[in-house]
This record gives sequence, C-alpha cells and structure tokens, in this order.
Amino acid sequence: MSSEPESHSGEKPSIGGDLIIPVAAILFTLYYFYSIIGAPWTAQVSAFFNGSILLILCAIFIITAVVKVARRHATFRFDTLVEPISILPKRIFLFLLTLGYIACLDWAGFTITTFVFLALAMLLLSGRERKNKRVIFILSGALAIGGYLLFVVAFERQFPEGPFEHAVKALIKAMGGG
Amino acid sequence: MQMHMTFSFLVQLFEHTFTFWWIIIPAIFLGLIVGAVPGFSAANTIIILLPLTLAMGEEEGLIFMVALYCSSRLGAGIPAILVNVPGTAGAAATPLDGYPMAKQGKGPQALAISFVSSTLGGLLTTIIVLFMMPYIAQVVYYLHSVEMIVVMLFGISLIATIAAEDTMKGLIAGFFGLMIGSIGADYIYATPRGTMGFLELYDGVPLIPALVGLFAISEAFFIIEGESILSEQGQILMREATWADTFEGARETLKRWWHVVWTSLIGLVIGVIPGAGAAIASFVAYQQSKTFSKTPELYGTGHIEGLIAPESANNGVTSGTLVPLLVIGIPGGATAAIMLVVMQYHGTTVGPDLFIQKPFVAYGVFSAMAVTYLLMALTIFPMARYMSRVTMVSTVYIAPLIIAFTLVGSFVPRGYVFDIYLALVFGVIGYIARKTGYHVAAILIGVILGPLLEQYFLRALKMSQGDIMVIFSSRIGNILWVCLILSLVIPFAKDWHRKRSAFREALHQGEKAERGGTVG
Repeated sequence: MSSEPESHSGEKPSIGGDLIIPVAAILFTLYYFYSIIGAPWTAQVSAFFNGSILLILCAIFIITAVVKVARRHATFRFDTLVEPISILPKRIFLFLLTLGYIACLDWAGFTITTFVFLALAMLLLSGRERKNKRVIFILSGALAIGGYLLFVVAFERQFPEGPFEHAVKALIKAMGGG
Repeated sequence: MQMHMTFSFLVQLFEHTFTFWWIIIPAIFLGLIVGAVPGFSAANTIIILLPLTLAMGEEEGLIFMVALYCSSRLGAGIPAILVNVPGTAGAAATPLDGYPMAKQGKGPQALAISFVSSTLGGLLTTIIVLFMMPYIAQVVYYLHSVEMIVVMLFGISLIATIAAEDTMKGLIAGFFGLMIGSIGADYIYATPRGTMGFLELYDGVPLIPALVGLFAISEAFFIIEGESILSEQGQILMREATWADTFEGARETLKRWWHVVWTSLIGLVIGVIPGAGAAIASFVAYQQSKTFSKTPELYGTGHIEGLIAPESANNGVTSGTLVPLLVIGIPGGATAAIMLVVMQYHGTTVGPDLFIQKPFVAYGVFSAMAVTYLLMALTIFPMARYMSRVTMVSTVYIAPLIIAFTLVGSFVPRGYVFDIYLALVFGVIGYIARKTGYHVAAILIGVILGPLLEQYFLRALKMSQGDIMVIFSSRIGNILWVCLILSLVIPFAKDWHRKRSAFREALHQGEKAERGGTVG
C-alpha cells in the first residue's frame, strides 16, 4: 500500500491503478450533481461543498500523474492492481464464485448455498494441494449447518430461505413443533 | 436525585446486582457473538429477544439487556483485531492499529489490550456516571446542532490524520466517502440524491454493507495472496506465544492508564448526546490520541495507544447512552430506546423521580454495567490467547468464511438482497483502494459521519433561517472550534519542532566533531 508503488525493482512505478478511485470519484460526483439539479438548496449545499473539493483534489491528482508519465517518471500500467499475477486467476474465480453465491442465495437458501460456496472456494484456494478434500467438505458442511443453527434457529434472523430451510420447517411442523 | 448515593447504598446495590450473575454471564457470551458478526447488533438481538425480556421481571430484563449491550461492544473489536473485520461501526477504528499488531503475531497482546482497555474504560465511566449522573446529563442541554457540527468535524478530521501518509490519496478517499455518504433523500424535502434509481438507497447508504464491503470483503480478496494472515516473523511469534504475552498486553495497557481514562471520557461525553454513537466516539478518540501522542508516527503500524483509544472510547459510550434515558427520558440510542419500552411495559416512568421511587432499578442499570464489565474481564481475558489462534488458520479456509458470513450479515439489518450486492460493490472499491494505497478507513469515516454532519448542519441552518454564521453563534461551540483548530495545528507544530530539534542536534554534533578534529 505504498504511495508510489513499484511493480518490479528498478522499473518505473505503475500508477494506472492509482487513478481508478479518482476517476470513479469524478464520475460519481458529476452524476450526483446532475441528480440534484433543480433540487431545493438544502439538498444541494453539502453535496456541492464536498463534491467541489473532491473534483479539485481529483483533478490535481490526475494532472500530477499525467505530468509524471509525461516526464517518464511513471507509467500508466495497472500492475499494482493485479499483482501477484500468479494469484490473479484464483482471485477472479473467487469473485465469480462470490457473485454466484449472492445470485443463488435468494432461491437456494442460506445453508445449501453457503455449503456449496465454502466448499468450492476452499477447493479453489487450496490449488493443487487437494489432499484435504474431505476436511474441506466436512468443514463447509459444519459451518453451513452451524450458521443455520446459530443465526436462523437460535437468533431467529431472517436469512434467505431455500429447500433446506423449508424442509426443516416442514419437518418441525410435522413433528408438532411448529 | 443524589439521595441514596451513600457508601452503604452502593455496597448494597452491588451485592444485589451480583446475585444476577446467572443472567449476566449468558448475556455476556451472547453479546460477544452478536457483536462479533457484522449485521448482528445488540439492538437487533434485544428486539428479537424482547418477548423473553418482557417475560422476565423488570430488573432481570434490564440487567440482561445491559450485559448484552456492553459485551457486544467488546465483541465487535475481536474480529476487527484478528481478521480486520469490525463487528459494528463502533469498532471501525479498532483495526487501524489492532490488525497490524495481529499480523505481527501479537494477537494475544492485542486482544488483551482491547479487553483491558474496554473493561477499564467501561468500568470507569460507569462509576463516574453513578456518582455524577445529574451533572453529566446537563451535557444534553449544552450540546446542540451547532456544537455537534464541531464534534463531527473532530471525527472527520481523522481523515486528515490518516491522510498524513499520503495527503492527496487520504483526502480523495475521505471526500469520496463523504459523497457516498450523502446518497439518499435529503433531510428536509426528501429529494432523492445520487440514488441511481435504487429505492433501497433512498434512506441513505446502509452502514453494515459499507463496513462489510470496505473491510471484510476487500480483506478476504487481499489475504489470499499469502497462506496466512501473519507475517513470517508473526507466525514464529504466534507459534511461541505463551500466557506471558497475554499478560504483557494487560501490563502495557495498565501502564497507559491515563490514556484509558481520557479516551473513555471522550466516549462518555459523546455517548450522552442523543444520536451520536460509538463510531464517532472511537474516531474522535483515535484522532485526539494521535494528536497528543509523543509517537504519532507509530499510529497505524500496530501502536498500543492507537488500539487503546478507540476501545476505551467505544466502551465509554455505553454508560453515556443510558444517562439521557434515565435522567430526562430521552433514549440516547437504539438499545436505550428498547430499554425504555421494557421499563414502560413494567409501568416504570423514566425521569428524575425514578431515582427516588425505584433506586435499585435506576442505579441498578449502571451497577449492572459495572458488574458486567468485572465479570467480562474474568471470563473473556483467559480466552485471549486461544482466540488469537484464529490468525494461524490458513487463508484457504478463512477467506471464504469471511466472505460467506459477512455477506449474509449485511443482509440481516434490512432483509434486502440488494444490500449483499452493495457490500460486494463496496468490497471492490475497498480492494482497489487497498491495492493502490487509499485508506479504506478514510472512505468509511466519510460514509458514517458525512450524513450526520449534513443533518446537524441543515438543522442549525434551519434554526437560524439560513444564516451560515450560526456555526459560530455558541460559546461552547466556539471553544470547540478553537480546540479543533488546535488539534489540527498541534501535530504540524510538533513535527516542525521535532525536525528543528533534530537539525540543531545534528548541527551541534557536527560542530563538536569539527572542534574535536581541530584539537586532535
């Protein structure tokens, strides 16, 4: 997390990644300003104050970065964001798994989705060392069931429900507990 | 109101409260769990368990809620230290120095520091409240919107403190956070602002998804770079950790007892103000702690004082929150509001008369708090060494666990799947921020304090019919403005003085060496 990240020793620092947050901030601030055009002054005052400062800061930062690159003191590469490259495939797959986890939560329910996500994510991260496959499945199952018992049964939280939760509910009802 | 406050009454009160240990101890463990999982706040749990507390007697119900409330505050700091995942917004300043300590293999020390400073901070402020409640309650009458604007700015100025490492990036992160925090309908006319058409954002950006995303999700994607959270040296230290390390943490905290005292007092004062909370208190305490530290450069690297400050302050808030409830009938926070429901259910009217009519209930709330902190110290301190072993678990297991449970935690407060996606979006922002040197804490401070600042600012402007000078209209406010300016200037002045002294020293050494050479 250094301010002047150097991707490889001796090479020019890559500052492309550093510009993502300022560019996102500028785009968001401009959209925000657009959304409050014509709104009462009470809705505008704070946003215009903070937003203007943010735009000025981002502009200074980007200009400084461009000058650095123009003087060949830095490059616009995104190395800092993706390094170490060896981890990148794992990171992308973990992100896709997480997206899948959220997408399935609503219809497959907490317990099943959590079990599948934990197992797949642990297998993915363990890489070639898959000797502990059994441990991973047992652990994932225990954590998913443990989470269900603690949060849904004990604390009565409204977690997304799916076939497992419905089946348990029906079972309890059939046993006269519901 | 002070009538019964004699030594014999106090002894009687504490003896009486200790007889409820069978309620307090289970509530402590329950509180630790709900505090540690993002989304499971004490207030939510107390609401869920309301039928149970209403079924209990009034005293039992109140003691149960108080114990759960205090322990959840402490519980929130545990994952913040061990895996950089604060359980609540009140613990958002804890990982700034707690997590670097854990990464260095000082998990047992860090947890011991957190437990001891939380316990001492909570205990001290509770005792102060017991003796000085009528005076402390006056704070409510003196701190209005104008003064609160300055208090908020104290917290927000932490952005500048964090920005000290890289000013531009720190300020961009902080102001970006402030802009994100101002998403939602405005407070006067409910005009939607920056919501991108999502109805779920009309109430503003929910805190838990922001907290989960910026800290937990981004951390999970970050730590998979290594096999362990710990550094190589940290792994060796953790493997060799003994009880002595845990006691060292306690000893280091006790050595800095004065730091615990004044940072917990910040928490107490902020806690008394209705609507303010542990997050503000811990940010303000951290900022002040760094300002007046002899070693400000060590903050953020695993500095003991940087961990003591937020932990003492957010536990100082707990007793402060209940003062306005009991003395003037205004609940200072969500938990206090639920306590009010329980008391009203039992036919108890809060206010000054409560201390005369039911002294064991009124003072009992605070003695329960003190007893909870004492029992908490005894029950949780021995667990520090074992809890810290979480840091030794491989990232293969811990990263998916963090993602799964914190994402679902972000669903809990409002029950929207949208909030889980929002947490993921914040996770992406947090990941990019971490990898490119922007501080996620600076973004979070903006998200938490931005809307509050705007709210107080608009309220003050409304009352003054749009006169901006209202922010300098109060005597206390003006004193606070001076303190704020001083606290921003002092670090620079100290830094300048230190550099000047070092330069003079170097010059002096050079002259000495030159003279020695001439003589030689």
